[in-house]
Amino acid sequence: MLNKYLIRIFAVIFMVPFMSCIREDVSGNDPYANFESLWKIIDEQYCFLDYKKSEYGLDWNEVHERYSKRISPDMTQYNLFEVLSDMVNELRDGHVNLGSGIATSQYREWFDAYPRNFSDSIQGNYLGKDYKITSGLVYQILENNIGYIYCSSFSDGIGEGNLDYMFKALELCDGIIIDVRNNGGGNLTTAHKLASRFTNEKKLVGYMSYKSGPGHNDFSKPESVFIEPSNGIRWQKKAVVIANRRSYSSTNDFVNIMKQLPNVTIIGDKTGGGSGLPFSSEIPNGWSIRFSASPMFDSDMNQLEFGIEPDIKIDMLESDIIKGKDTIIEESCTFLKKK
Amino acid sequence: MAILLLCGSRIFAQNVNGDKYVMRSTLLGTGLSNVFDTYLSPLEYKGLELRFMHERMRMTGVMNGKVSTQSVVQLNLAYTKNVSKTAKSYAGMFNWTYAMHYQYKVNNDLKLLFGPMLDVNAGFVYNTRNSNNPAQAKAYVSFDASAMAIYKFRIKHCPMTVRYQINLPVLGIAFSPEYGQSYYELFSLGHGGRNVLFTSFHNAPSFRQILTLDFPVGKSVIRTGYLCDIQQFKLNNLKSHMYSHNFMIGFVRSFYMISGKSRNRVSESFNPF
Repeated sequence: MLNKYLIRIFAVIFMVPFMSCIREDVSGNDPYANFESLWKIIDEQYCFLDYKKSEYGLDWNEVHERYSKRISPDMTQYNLFEVLSDMVNELRDGHVNLGSGIATSQYREWFDAYPRNFSDSIQGNYLGKDYKITSGLVYQILENNIGYIYCSSFSDGIGEGNLDYMFKALELCDGIIIDVRNNGGGNLTTAHKLASRFTNEKKLVGYMSYKSGPGHNDFSKPESVFIEPSNGIRWQKKAVVIANRRSYSSTNDFVNIMKQLPNVTIIGDKTGGGSGLPFSSEIPNGWSIRFSASPMFDSDMNQLEFGIEPDIKIDMLESDIIKGKDTIIEESCTFLKKK
Repeated sequence: MAILLLCGSRIFAQNVNGDKYVMRSTLLGTGLSNVFDTYLSPLEYKGLELRFMHERMRMTGVMNGKVSTQSVVQLNLAYTKNVSKTAKSYAGMFNWTYAMHYQYKVNNDLKLLFGPMLDVNAGFVYNTRNSNNPAQAKAYVSFDASAMAIYKFRIKHCPMTVRYQINLPVLGIAFSPEYGQSYYELFSLGHGGRNVLFTSFHNAPSFRQILTLDFPVGKSVIRTGYLCDIQQFKLNNLKSHMYSHNFMIGFVRSFYMISGKSRNRVSESFNPF
């Protein structure tokens, strides 16, 4: 009797190796397979398909239909890269990059179609030669006793001690400018660390959600994002954040936070946007694809993907540029000097 | 779990001579690994794997001395690449299993063992190319059904032992981020989700099987084997698997335990293996 049961038990267990495998249906490495794979990654994981449909009529199914006609079995890798790059550029997203040995695709209209509003040679006129650098932050006290901090990137970490020394050095200034023009982003935590020096209380600054499934509408419930005051030196006077169209990604998030703080004013141009936290994936031929995966919103649940409007819109004037002056820095100083 | 705890308490309650005998084996292995996780990539990554395995078996006083325990610790590291060799990933897993097997002696040469097993796993897969989803954490615990067949035979007076074992996860829990949830949201912002999920055959059809052959070389007993480790999950719309096929080799030692020190070679009548 026991033998009979044992034989049954072992027969069932020995069948286990023939259970179904969990794999992804990625078939082939020809141009069409790579096209389908890329289209599917965006279709299932990109987080702004419905938003962009409402904003400018993006129809991802229509994109598939249109671009599949440009795929042929004998096309070269160069041609395939060109077609696939064009396809992902339909998303109008600086966070979407197709990477290959040939090149990396980039959608540039988010800044190319607008005034540059920044000149590092003119900026040099304000920094002089005795500026200081700490944790990637460049700072100087301008002649009119305004503190000027230039933050070119959030990619590198900023030390709390470095921030303390910097704010200590600027403590007697009448106001402070944080210039994030041409800052293409980096780490969100670094952006939050800098912003935490400008608030004395925990404050709701936005929401974030993530895709919970492959459907275009499969999103988690947006969860609150707070900024908490730093335990280090916090700035208590007026502050201006200068932004331009190249203020992108986590810099966009920084501007969003700063805009909601009471003593802070955003001056310059609209930011470039880029409010989707980018993820990476790849297609069968090994080309990488980066795309926006998790959307971020402001505290009123507005999308930030296409940028944040400044409180005071100012472009650099040609007449000032010729004189070596930065119109936006000048106007910011005037604003900070006002009682 | 209750069965394991009940049986565990019985081990300490009873103390017959047999439970002092311990069979230990230490094996090193190498083989092929196939790592796949749609959180990181839709492609399968393949490459080499190194594996360490330490096994310990002993008889207990449970059910008139017919139950043995088996504790196995495994550590494996894999270095894999995608099919076009444009990206690489590293994977590492720690696995500990603790099983209680009822030993059914079919005849003097053949034993069949079966019983429950606790299966604990932790590890990672790191894709060097990805941005905000560079790695996937692996953490899962399951209760398995475990079965083993041990057959002893001789070739020209040379004693050999062949063993086949298979472990099948039946019910467990596993960690998984949500489909598009970043670790930044999980750990920096503290935004949760359905990150701990129940697993069973429908979403985690996994198993481990090993075939070993023990044979003497001089005064030592050498163990060689083939290990097939198939771990699969479909959680939060994310698919993943880690397939390993390893050739293992090492040695076996049997001890009589007194205050942690060995004294004699094990008597065959108390041999858990």
